[in-house]
Amino acid sequence: MVSHILKDCGDNVINMLTDALDAGLSVLDKDLTIIWVNKTLPNMLNLHYNPVGRKCREVYACECQDSRHCSVLQALSTGKKTSNEIQLITESGVRKYIRNITTPVRDGGNNIAYLIKISLDITQQEEKVRRISLLRKFAEVMQGTLQIDRLLHLALTCVTAGSALGFNRARLFLVDKEQNVIYGKMAVGPSSLEEASKIWSEIAHKHEDLDDLIDASVKTRHYDTPLHKTTRLMAFSLTDEKEIIVSCVKTKKMILERNAFSNDQIDKKFVNAVGVNEFICVPLVVEDDAIGVICADNAYNRKPITEEQVELLSIFATRVALAFANAETYRKLWEKNQQLKETRERLVRSERLAVIGNMAAYIAHEIRNPLVTIGGFARILMREYADHKKVKQHTEIITQEVSRLEKILANIMDFSKPIETVRTLIQINELLENTCYLMGPYLKSAHIQVSKKFDPSIPKIIVDQTQMKQVFLNLIKNAAESMTQGGKLTVESMTEDEYIKIDFTDTGEGMTPEILQNLFTPFFTTKVDGTGVGLAVSQKIIDDHNGFIKIKSVPKEGTTFSISLPIKNVTA
Amino acid sequence: MKTILVVEDDKNQLLLYEQELSLEGYKIITARDGLEAIKKVREQLPDLIVMDITMPKMNGIEAMGKILSEHKKIPIIINTAYSRYKDDFMSWAADAYVVKSSNLKELKDKIKELV
Repeated sequence: MVSHILKDCGDNVINMLTDALDAGLSVLDKDLTIIWVNKTLPNMLNLHYNPVGRKCREVYACECQDSRHCSVLQALSTGKKTSNEIQLITESGVRKYIRNITTPVRDGGNNIAYLIKISLDITQQEEKVRRISLLRKFAEVMQGTLQIDRLLHLALTCVTAGSALGFNRARLFLVDKEQNVIYGKMAVGPSSLEEASKIWSEIAHKHEDLDDLIDASVKTRHYDTPLHKTTRLMAFSLTDEKEIIVSCVKTKKMILERNAFSNDQIDKKFVNAVGVNEFICVPLVVEDDAIGVICADNAYNRKPITEEQVELLSIFATRVALAFANAETYRKLWEKNQQLKETRERLVRSERLAVIGNMAAYIAHEIRNPLVTIGGFARILMREYADHKKVKQHTEIITQEVSRLEKILANIMDFSKPIETVRTLIQINELLENTCYLMGPYLKSAHIQVSKKFDPSIPKIIVDQTQMKQVFLNLIKNAAESMTQGGKLTVESMTEDEYIKIDFTDTGEGMTPEILQNLFTPFFTTKVDGTGVGLAVSQKIIDDHNGFIKIKSVPKEGTTFSISLPIKNVTA
Repeated sequence: MKTILVVEDDKNQLLLYEQELSLEGYKIITARDGLEAIKKVREQLPDLIVMDITMPKMNGIEAMGKILSEHKKIPIIINTAYSRYKDDFMSWAADAYVVKSSNLKELKDKIKELV
């Protein structure tokens, strides 16, 4: 048989046979210079030049410094047939996996004269293996990720990573049951062809393992890409069952659409938004309920979606859904825990207030009675010795000091007195206006300018008018007292979420973190003649109204007290 | 001369009221607790009563109830260190509510008004 071919084709027969092989063949001399190759090898390595005459290392572009992993060097030193696997980037930027088998050929003196090297392209098998192991690892990492946004972004990164699922773009949609819609949550992928080619040439040159990918996922988690932005604007009603994405949610089955634009069975709103003819939608199913959809396509290289991609994506989506359910459960737990913590803090605070209050009330009353006697007799003395200068002066001091003590006691008793509430529907702006008016002369004498910025559109709310006025008075007085050299007080009202927010901003001394920490502790004061109950009382009143107080303070610049009162007061 | 009954358990304070109110031109009789107050009212029928609340044996509010049931027209001023009884509707039966202070002006004014 061979002799027939030999007869027909002459010397060319060797070339003919070797070129027909699917394997690259090369012959090296003992200096590792290539002296012959078949035609398959340059094709396999995408060479644009004739490799004959070059060194083996130049052509294979592999790193043969490590002689233990180089089949050629091994074969040369051991004199035995050796094989290894290498990874290289071809001239055109494609990553390839090659298995090399090198066999030494000996001359008459039994010395190695040549090396025959057979190169097999194992890229496809290798990529498949790597892909699956990468997906598995990815899924493992995702299981441990409890932050939902990060998790979803990781998932989309995996769908688009060349070495994983390798789609051009991936979008994630989530179902909102209350609104009965499915809306765009996030997207990963280039926004244009130019960007796509730039990214591909960048990633083709670096080895992408799991850590690289996760790193990239964390780093690129900026949400301002055009693709992400347009995706965020998408929303489809779950009643539009002829939209592909909706039917994906309803049927809980993957949909591979290869010809969307000319498919007259479907509505085109979603298709037009995605903007490609071929794409795949995979539902994320948790406990028999589709919570979202991953939509992936090859918008830029326009490669058809392969069977393998479809299969891998469907397996992957199951893992994503599980991880999502995990993270969601964790989030709910965390929220509940947070609520518990807050309730506990509130309880502890009111408990502490109650104890302090009772104690304060007891002490205050015990002291008040003797004070009445002391002060009363001092007054009698003062009157009886009106013409005795010294006695009069000294008894005057006693009565003044007694009056001061009585005033402090009155303050404390107000604090410890159980508060009776009378709640009515009022416009906070009016109350603020009223309080500012009341404080007007005082503020003017302290050289404080008042700037009122009331939002006229804030709704009326149900509060105890007297108590709330007390809070406003306290805060305005505090602000004024922090501006010893005069300054500006800004009173501002606005709506924020479900709350009416009132800001009191001063240009005073500001507070240090230590002071801030103790601010609401009863009887804590930094003022020479303060009793330290003003803010504690204010806090208690706001607490009773289911609101909260926040403070922002910069030393030497000023302080803002913000009161938030719920618009829908549940206990009203 | 009008007679005022001052009911007060604190000995020194009582002395203070006695002195100060005498100077205002009233005849002062005293009681040290609620029971004694009821007895004094029966004996001498004062024109006005200044009543402390927290006292041993019988507190001021209870005593006030008993006195008013016998003599509806006697004006009574509650004079106490506690402001919280203001919210106790029992105290509303009194004609005035004065929170104790070393400055007796408020008390004197109220007496002048009611006598």
